[in-house]
Amino acid sequence: MFSNFDFSVIAASLPYLFGQGMVFTLTLTALAATGGIVFGTGLAMMRLSGIPGVTQAAKLYVELMRSLPLVLVIFWFYFLVPYIGAWVTGSATPIQVGAFASALVTFTLFEAAYFAEIMRAGIQSIAKGQSAAASALGMSYWQTMRLVVLPQALRNMLPLLLTQTIVLFQDTSLVYVLSLTDFMGAASKVAQRDGRLVEMYLFAALVYFAVCFTASWLVRRLQTRVAIIR
Amino acid sequence: MTSTPMPAPAAGTPTANASEAPADEGLRAGPLVTPAPAPATAGSMIAIEGVSKWYGDFKVLTGCSTRVARGEVVVVCGPSGSGKSTLIKCVNALEPFQEGQITVDGTRVKDRGTNLPKLRARVGMVFQHFELFPHLSITDNLTIAQRKVLGRSGEDARKRGLDLLDRVGLSAHAKKFPGQLSGGQQQRVAIARALAMNPVVMLFDEPTSALDPEMVGEVLDVMVELARDGMTMMVVTHEMGFARKVADRVIFMDRGEIVEDATKDAFFGQPRSERAQQFLSKILAH
Ligand SMILES: Nc1ncnc2c1ncn2[C@@H]1O[C@H](COP(=O)(O)OP(=O)(O)O)[C@@H](O)[C@H]1O
Ligand SMILES: [Mg+2]
Repeated sequence: MFSNFDFSVIAASLPYLFGQGMVFTLTLTALAATGGIVFGTGLAMMRLSGIPGVTQAAKLYVELMRSLPLVLVIFWFYFLVPYIGAWVTGSATPIQVGAFASALVTFTLFEAAYFAEIMRAGIQSIAKGQSAAASALGMSYWQTMRLVVLPQALRNMLPLLLTQTIVLFQDTSLVYVLSLTDFMGAASKVAQRDGRLVEMYLFAALVYFAVCFTASWLVRRLQTRVAIIR
Repeated sequence: MTSTPMPAPAAGTPTANASEAPADEGLRAGPLVTPAPAPATAGSMIAIEGVSKWYGDFKVLTGCSTRVARGEVVVVCGPSGSGKSTLIKCVNALEPFQEGQITVDGTRVKDRGTNLPKLRARVGMVFQHFELFPHLSITDNLTIAQRKVLGRSGEDARKRGLDLLDRVGLSAHAKKFPGQLSGGQQQRVAIARALAMNPVVMLFDEPTSALDPEMVGEVLDVMVELARDGMTMMVVTHEMGFARKVADRVIFMDRGEIVEDATKDAFFGQPRSERAQQFLSKILAH
């Protein structure tokens, strides 16, 4: 049945698919994962702070993000961010925000809710005695977090954080709704242009599978290595 | 009550449990600390006055009062759950308390204006489960608080840390991680880590009770040496051999109260309360 398929269109479009599409996907994934882990860690610390109001605010944020479909959040932010920007800077007209910036903000804020839950478990997995020992040495709350608790929590949770990043890598394909050209978008454009939908989508699926499968395998290998010797 | 630091032991003086030779290099001779000369007006290093504490409705501490003089070694004992850990954690404000006051080297612990991290930096604490930082090397464990809390240079911190590591007989292990050391070795590193901050007083919360029996001696040796160097110490322990050797006073707690607070000789001679007598006969039986 593959006799009338033309796989040469893939070969011809490789530079475009990877040089532009995949580079965009990886850039967005890396930036959003970094931002999401940083903000997520902040949310986890807020949630565990025990300060009335702060705890609830973080909880509400996480629950809200986790109950909304990502594609909705993407649209929502795309139309909202210019107005938020105007409000923050005190400008009278909506701020011009590029689709990429909007997507990055969205993915960061959305993924932070998931990373927050991972980091919360990570922080809770560090025995109380560790922060007691840090305090007893005269460390402030922030020093205790930065020097003792978070490095251990990050290490313990690294496999889960990376697994969530693999999910994020797949999710970034949703930026096509903002007409951005990620890997999926690039494949889609070539497919439409050359009328080779089946070949291109097969190929795209294969690439996503290969990347995610390899990454998951690497994470599993890493898991046995990063565990802190106790 | 003695407030004069005892002289450092002569090199090679056998200390506690000399029969249990440590498996590593053994203790180095020389003082672990250079005791500051006690000022003529020296008051108490720790004054605990009418401290009560509740966990919700549960009263953990009831009107606890006692004093620890400079250079004094006070052993705190009592049944499990009697509030020993809680009391000792109140001293460096790891646990808040609702009533009473604690003064450490002139600083009131329960005072709005008190900078607690600063106070804690001057009070060394050793925990039952060592609590070394597992993600840091032994050297980093010894230097991190010196650098980040006291602001010492990396070189100064390292020098002091490694010097103390040598004193507890573990200099060969500087580059290892805590998980690679035995429990006894980890606890000696933990003591060195606390001493690296130049504390004015050391608190110990059952420092040997999580150790295998054959490792208890090496940790007690370090503590005996520290006591003989004149360090002010408050030690929660059931090691009565240690108490007999270096304690000036023994405090017995039961159900959140200080039931007995006596000189070592008076305590081991004839503890006044029946509860203390029962407790003593129980732990001395094995
Ligand atoms: N965080 C806590 N919340 C409630 N009760 C506690 C807490 N910590 C300790 N307790 C209780 O306080 C009592 C004294 O505990 P602790 O000071 O650890 O005793 P000890 O060190 O003498 O064994 C115990 O009954 C213990 O169950
Ligand atoms: Mg205890």
